[in-house]
Amino acid sequence: MRVGLRVNGTFHEVDVEPRALLVHVLRGLGYRSVRVGCDTATCGACTVLIDGRPAKSCNLLAVQVDGAEIVTAEHADGLLERLRKSFNAHHAAQCGYCTSGMLMAAYALLSRRERPSEDEVREHMAGVLCRCTGYQNIVRAVVEA
Amino acid sequence: MRLVGRPIPRVEDARILRGRATYLDDIEPPGTLHAGFVRSPYPHARVLRVDMSDALSDPRVIAGYTSLPGPPMAPGGKVRFQGEAVAMLVAVDRYALADALERVVVDYEPLPHVVDPAKALEEGAPLLHEENGSNVAHTARYGSPDAAGAAAPRVLEGELRVQRVVPAAMEPRGVVAAYDGHTLTVWSSTQVPYDVRKEVAGALGLPLSRVRAVQPDVGGAFGSKLIVYPEEVWVAAAAYLLGRPVKWVATRSEDFRATTHGRDMGLAFRVGFDGSGRVRSLWGRITCDVGAYHWGEGLSDIAARMLTGPYDIREAGVEVVDVYTNKTPLGAYRGAGRPEATFFVERIMDMVADELGLDPVEVRRANLVRGLPYTNPFGMTYDTGDYTGTLEAALSRLGYYELLRWADEEWARGRLVGVGLSIYVEVTTFGFETAIVRAEPDGSFTVVTGTTPHGQGVATGIAQIVADELEVPLESVRVVWGDTALVQDGIGTMGSRSITAGGSAALLAARRLREGLKAAAEQLLGSPVQYSGGRFWGPNGEAQIGDVVRAIYRGRASGPLEAYEVYNARSTYPFGVHVAVVEVDPETGHVRPVLYRSYDDAGEIVNPLLAEGQIHGGVLQGVGQALYEEAVYDGEGNLITANLALYGVPTFAEAPRYEVRFAERPHRSEHPTGTKGVGEIGAIAATPAVVRAVEHAVRRVRPGARATSTPLTPEKVWMMLRP
Repeated sequence: MRVGLRVNGTFHEVDVEPRALLVHVLRGLGYRSVRVGCDTATCGACTVLIDGRPAKSCNLLAVQVDGAEIVTAEHADGLLERLRKSFNAHHAAQCGYCTSGMLMAAYALLSRRERPSEDEVREHMAGVLCRCTGYQNIVRAVVEA
Repeated sequence: MRLVGRPIPRVEDARILRGRATYLDDIEPPGTLHAGFVRSPYPHARVLRVDMSDALSDPRVIAGYTSLPGPPMAPGGKVRFQGEAVAMLVAVDRYALADALERVVVDYEPLPHVVDPAKALEEGAPLLHEENGSNVAHTARYGSPDAAGAAAPRVLEGELRVQRVVPAAMEPRGVVAAYDGHTLTVWSSTQVPYDVRKEVAGALGLPLSRVRAVQPDVGGAFGSKLIVYPEEVWVAAAAYLLGRPVKWVATRSEDFRATTHGRDMGLAFRVGFDGSGRVRSLWGRITCDVGAYHWGEGLSDIAARMLTGPYDIREAGVEVVDVYTNKTPLGAYRGAGRPEATFFVERIMDMVADELGLDPVEVRRANLVRGLPYTNPFGMTYDTGDYTGTLEAALSRLGYYELLRWADEEWARGRLVGVGLSIYVEVTTFGFETAIVRAEPDGSFTVVTGTTPHGQGVATGIAQIVADELEVPLESVRVVWGDTALVQDGIGTMGSRSITAGGSAALLAARRLREGLKAAAEQLLGSPVQYSGGRFWGPNGEAQIGDVVRAIYRGRASGPLEAYEVYNARSTYPFGVHVAVVEVDPETGHVRPVLYRSYDDAGEIVNPLLAEGQIHGGVLQGVGQALYEEAVYDGEGNLITANLALYGVPTFAEAPRYEVRFAERPHRSEHPTGTKGVGEIGAIAATPAVVRAVEHAVRRVRPGARATSTPLTPEKVWMMLRP
């Protein structure tokens, strides 16, 4: 089936199997920052923005999001650059495997709320798992981005 | 200004934060085929027949194997744990692969199984390895076996248990291999590329020169990727035989069964002590459930040999029994034996204190080792430190007694909070490590480290060390790793050894290169020279270090362009005191970790920002061990916590606030870096501290309550709260 996706501003028209997961289609298009960490839609490493809202791309078929605007962690804009600087300054990434998902979840939060509290960050981002950092530095990085 | 000791943000981050890191699944040479495994649903069964004909009739399926060079699949015609591989298929893409795996028909004859190590030791228990004659995988004795405690005024006996957990690195395991007719390249999500190379070459009868192993960016490991797994050899063999690139990436559910689990040890103990809390003797028997194969050798031995912890217990003896059961094989997991030892001895110290009605700190103080170096009853020599002095400093820095008073006040207001303290000494670092420091033609430097970092920030730490030694800016030093085309031998990142063993190797290599460049500068300048800040100078003039390097590259001076150093690192022993605060809901038994404070003497700290990150992450894994995580097998041998939806990896919601401190005047190790290692401290110290904090809270309601096993689930805490 033909599916049209605008990813980080670039339009792609792709032919996909109806059962193809969005995460696999995005990775196939070269957006490798979208990572697979589980098979139960639990870990959130595949989180992307779909029309401005965070979503786990392993839990969607590509055909469900035909025509959508998608943002991945390869994207570059002012907010993402601020987040990147803050993640670096606060040592918020270790192995990095969850980091794309963390950046996307944080991007969604900061897009609608300029100065979230620590508790808001924890609640909003609880859909992404990290096994390395213990989370505190990620919370700080988002609060102080 | 020295770089070592400063909280410098990581140089590794640039790629990661732009989504440009390259993990195993991001590697896909053109024409890559996808491999997958048919895995046993039974915990123990004879494999009677594997029929792949239906699967192979699909033109998208390229090959199917029930044996390949390397370890046997289903050795002796049996599978011994749920998830053990029986056959491997190779297909054109992962969707075709998933379809084909469903079409393989396997006839199994289920055999009686055993998942309880005590039952596995009984007469008549089903045997996993018949040729072994029993399910005993390994036994050992350490210390004095007659440490029975008969002479002590008080004796306490009991049993303690640390549950089986799943390391659950966020990136599952995976392998890609490609053979170009000359070189077989194997990319693997591993901690040990050198071992992968050797095992693959050995299995295929290839010289090492024709096999290259690459460790790409690795999304966490925690010890679960430090053995060479059968899949790594089989996938490489298939790529070699087919002459086409082959990739296998485990699904999460597959990874939960096919990647080693951690911990799973029980201790039966008898401790003898006097009325002041001084421990006179300690006898223990450690039973370790190693699962179906003994892949994690030495784990229970380390637990045994560290069982007396930081305490001077002169009469001590431990027996070790490793037992086969029909479970996923056990392996190293962050701490590997020391978290278990620390949980055991810290529980025993708390119990002795409770028996005597003494302050748990008082009992620990009475028993702490005085005077380092100290050789424990099992032959482990703690190198440097001042345990009593560090304890006193920690109590004040951590505000331990203030927290206890605060907990009393909260209880008076009706809020049930608990405060728990743990003390640990642990052993880090072993073996040789390799470093190459190379001068590039522009006067910058490349360091190849034999360590294999996967998130720790080792490249930043080693760059700090080398830049200091060469007196050049941090930006002039680049650290690379994880490719046998760059460095042919090393051990890797494990056992909190990377900065100590790998950093010391890099420091000594840099020192030797600097001396060699100095000799070259003396030739160039025709006089003895001095060096500082990247510049040689003497009576005849001066030269920048880059000028000297260029002169050697162009043959105008002779000298080394690189230094290869192999450093043999003896073990060293960090020590510290940690305090956990939890809140317990008396209605539900739910525990919420609130605050976690640590004070560690881990020798020199190369980068406090990164060292703190190691403590945070390790602590949360220790919290998970204490409260949330468990690999649960049902009576049928099914792993029922088989993926991240069913297994309790802590989330943002469970993480406490961390306040990390390091000793102001640390005790250096003997190594050139003076470091002792920080990677496993959190996972070692946190579990006993959190467990005591829960017990402390519960004992307000039920004064005799005692926690003897983890995890302290709401159900277990609820039961403790009731008569």
